Amino acid sequence: MSNHLLQAFHGLRFRTKITLGMTLMLIFCGLSIGLILSAMSSKALLEEGKKRGMALSSGLAFRLTEPLLAMDFLQMKNLIDNVHSQYGDIIYIFLTDTRGNILSHTFSGGFPTDLLGINEDSRTTQPLLLTTERGLVYDFNVRVVLGEKSLGTVRMGLSRSDMDAQIGQQRLISLLTTLGVVSLGIILALWFARTVTRRLNRLRASAEEIVKGNLDVQAGTSLEKNCWEIMECGKHDCPAYGDARRRCWYLAGTLCPNCQGKEYPLKIESCRSCPVFRYNFGDELQDLAEAFDVMAVTVKNHIEELTEREKTIARQQGLLKTIMNVTPDFITLQDKELTYRFASKAFCDHFRLKEEEVVGKTDFDIFSERQADLNYHEDKQILITGQPLAKEITFKRPEGQKWFHIVKVPVYDQDGSIMGLLLTARDISVLKKFQEQLIQSQKMEDLGRLAGGVAHEINTPLGIILGYTQLLMDDITDEELLDNLKVVEKQTKVCRKIVADLLGFSRHSHSVREAVDINASLREVIQLVEHAFFLNRIKIVFRPDETIPALTGDRERLKQVWLNLLNNAADAIGQDGLISVQTGHGGHGQIVVSVADTGMGVDRDHLNKIFDPFFTTKQVGKGTGLGLSVSFGIIKEHGGTISALSPPPEEYLPSGLPRSEPAGPGTVFVAELPVSGRAVQ
Amino acid sequence: MPQRLCSLCLLLAALFLAACGEEERPVKVSLDKRQEITARPQLPAITYAYLPQYSHTESFQRHQQLVEYLADETGLPIRQVFPDTFAHHIGMFGQGKIDISFSNPFVYVSLANRYGAKAMARIVEEDGRAEFRGQIIARRDNEAIQSVEDCRGKSWVAVDPSSAGGYLFPLGHFVDHGLTLRDFKEVVFAGGRQENVILGVYAGLHDLGSIREGSLKVVADKIDIAQIKVVANSRWYPGWVYAYSPRLPQEKADKIRDALLKLDYAHDPRHRAILDAAKFIGFVPSEDRDFDPIRELSHKVGLDLE
Repeated sequence: MSNHLLQAFHGLRFRTKITLGMTLMLIFCGLSIGLILSAMSSKALLEEGKKRGMALSSGLAFRLTEPLLAMDFLQMKNLIDNVHSQYGDIIYIFLTDTRGNILSHTFSGGFPTDLLGINEDSRTTQPLLLTTERGLVYDFNVRVVLGEKSLGTVRMGLSRSDMDAQIGQQRLISLLTTLGVVSLGIILALWFARTVTRRLNRLRASAEEIVKGNLDVQAGTSLEKNCWEIMECGKHDCPAYGDARRRCWYLAGTLCPNCQGKEYPLKIESCRSCPVFRYNFGDELQDLAEAFDVMAVTVKNHIEELTEREKTIARQQGLLKTIMNVTPDFITLQDKELTYRFASKAFCDHFRLKEEEVVGKTDFDIFSERQADLNYHEDKQILITGQPLAKEITFKRPEGQKWFHIVKVPVYDQDGSIMGLLLTARDISVLKKFQEQLIQSQKMEDLGRLAGGVAHEINTPLGIILGYTQLLMDDITDEELLDNLKVVEKQTKVCRKIVADLLGFSRHSHSVREAVDINASLREVIQLVEHAFFLNRIKIVFRPDETIPALTGDRERLKQVWLNLLNNAADAIGQDGLISVQTGHGGHGQIVVSVADTGMGVDRDHLNKIFDPFFTTKQVGKGTGLGLSVSFGIIKEHGGTISALSPPPEEYLPSGLPRSEPAGPGTVFVAELPVSGRAVQ
Repeated sequence: MPQRLCSLCLLLAALFLAACGEEERPVKVSLDKRQEITARPQLPAITYAYLPQYSHTESFQRHQQLVEYLADETGLPIRQVFPDTFAHHIGMFGQGKIDISFSNPFVYVSLANRYGAKAMARIVEEDGRAEFRGQIIARRDNEAIQSVEDCRGKSWVAVDPSSAGGYLFPLGHFVDHGLTLRDFKEVVFAGGRQENVILGVYAGLHDLGSIREGSLKVVADKIDIAQIKVVANSRWYPGWVYAYSPRLPQEKADKIRDALLKLDYAHDPRHRAILDAAKFIGFVPSEDRDFDPIRELSHKVGLDLE
């Protein structure tokens, strides 16, 4: 039962508890005091009543002395009757002489003899309480005395009902007063509880808001006067200036001379004598609320700082992650036990693993035992010696030979001891290839130079051979011999072509800047090759745009490009085909030159490689693999671009053009050159 | 928790009990059980009355002890009675309701003249005399009054028309010197107070005053009595007297007189206490002729004591 009560009490609101507690206390105190006072005053009233009765009796006895001496019965009767009639609560009075004779009394119709037998001795405690037909009566016995001589006795009956009524009335007044005071007290208790709990509730609401994450709370009350108003300091730099939410004694770095530059717990001693403190300092609740506000603000600031830092860290982390994920290099971090702590995306992708399959694992979990063992010993050595390791490794892959440059460095922690191992590995296959190509091209350059020299030397004898062969052909009529001579002529021409190419490739002529009419340069080249192509039944359709302006560039080198493109096209066709050459305006004031053929086309995979040096699909001996690469270089030197499309779009190879059968899908090379012409380097 | 509840309950109970207090136990009495009653008659006794100069209470207090002494001494039942007035006293004596009367000489003369009262003893007052006299006073600086004759045509302030020493005795003295009431400019009475007479003269309101001898001492602490001179003294007259009714048997009267005369103020402390209460110091034997001067005086001043 009491547990239930206790539980119910615990469940009450604080305000109710205070009110209830104070109410109970008030009722208890009120009732106690009321009852005690009531009892005391009742007793006092009763005593007063008795005293009054005694006084009346004594007074009467005194006044009865003379008539008693004189035996003046009339006066006795008069006096007795007078008193009897004067006070309504006097039930009876009678007078006896020393011998017990009743000299006078107020009864009519006989005397109640019962009264004679009681309370005869006035020396006993007076009055004696009687219960009669007329209620409770106090019987007073007072002697009529003169000197030491007793003359008689006055007996007076005083009704107690009047006293009881008075006591009752007094008790009622006491009760009502107590109730009134208690009620007033309860109202005050309510008000008090409300005042106290309002601030507590505010504090609680603030705490709830903080729990919800809202730190922008104010549990304390606003001040009537803020510190800067009290001090009239005008110090706008002070952290307390304008901060109505926090009390200045909680703030560090305040500029008041009293503060002495101390922080909160230290400065409070000097604050106690400060007028601001004395003006604004409240009770414990206000202090708590204000401390709470300061806490909220401080926590908020800290959280904001933390959030900001967290954001920065996250941003940096994201950035780092992005870098790590985007970088094609392999990056891993291993701890002292060689367990992976981090692995970049490139690393994971390369080994077809997920990050979580790497992190927390060792090489033995990921690689073959042999490889892992190798790595282990290598890594351990680095961890022990602290010497970084750099090496290149190569291995075969279906897509070709792979080269990696691996760097392993020890990672030191703050106290200078090795805490792990950082590995970076870069795919240097392309670099390797370039290296090889560079070596190759160096060889080619040497070869070209050699070939150029040789060609130069051969060119003259070839010219003579060709001249003389053609002279012989004019003179010889023997068909068979003529045919043989024709073979000689042809092969000599082939030789001369090779020689010319070699010369062209190896010649390092200085570039010349001049105005170049693209259409004219194209015509020149077309005329040069038209005959030879015609022999292979390759027709060249030239559709120049005569409106294109001249551009500044190296005419000869551009002509070399056109020649390369046309040769390339002819090579792609082989025999029976069409080459469409167009010029026109491109976007942004550029001149577009396209050379489209109906040849075998270029594989999609090869399209982005055809401009690589030495890339060729031609049979060995038919091409050097340098033509397009050289052309790409020249166009680039002119600030333009060159690209290849296969099959060519309609605009470059209109279907309306006559084509011979069989025709391949074809290719178009589109060169775009700026009109203004970037200066040839 | 239950203990706490218990103690709280106990505390409350204690408070309630304290509030109740001790209750008186009434005695059952019936007021309706009536019976007619009559007073038992008083036993016959010799009645003793003091001329009602004071209230009954005062009379009782002065004489109660003396009455008890007399009863003890004589073995006779004696009871003090309280007449309301002088006339009542005289009337009661005449009716035989007073056997022994203690009165002033004028009342005695009346009683003797009317009902045959017989004097048996006079009291000796505190000045040691059984007689007293009046004095005529004036301011010492009043040169106009040097003798009784000088009082003629003057303003006289007396104590009371019935005052013996304060009026009647001086009046007798004036009559002896040939002055009647008509010979005074005015005769004023001071309401029965000797002091008022002296103060009236002292203040110069009246030329002369008449007082009982000894009264000047009473006001000595109030005024400089050297400023008052006594112009003349009246002759000595007998003082207060005990008389007995002719109805009282002589032997009883003798017993009583003997008892009175036996009282010894000087040597017996019990007697002294009795006499102190009665405000005199002793008795001398007395007989009726001691009061002839009073009769003469009454005749002179026209006082009817019959």
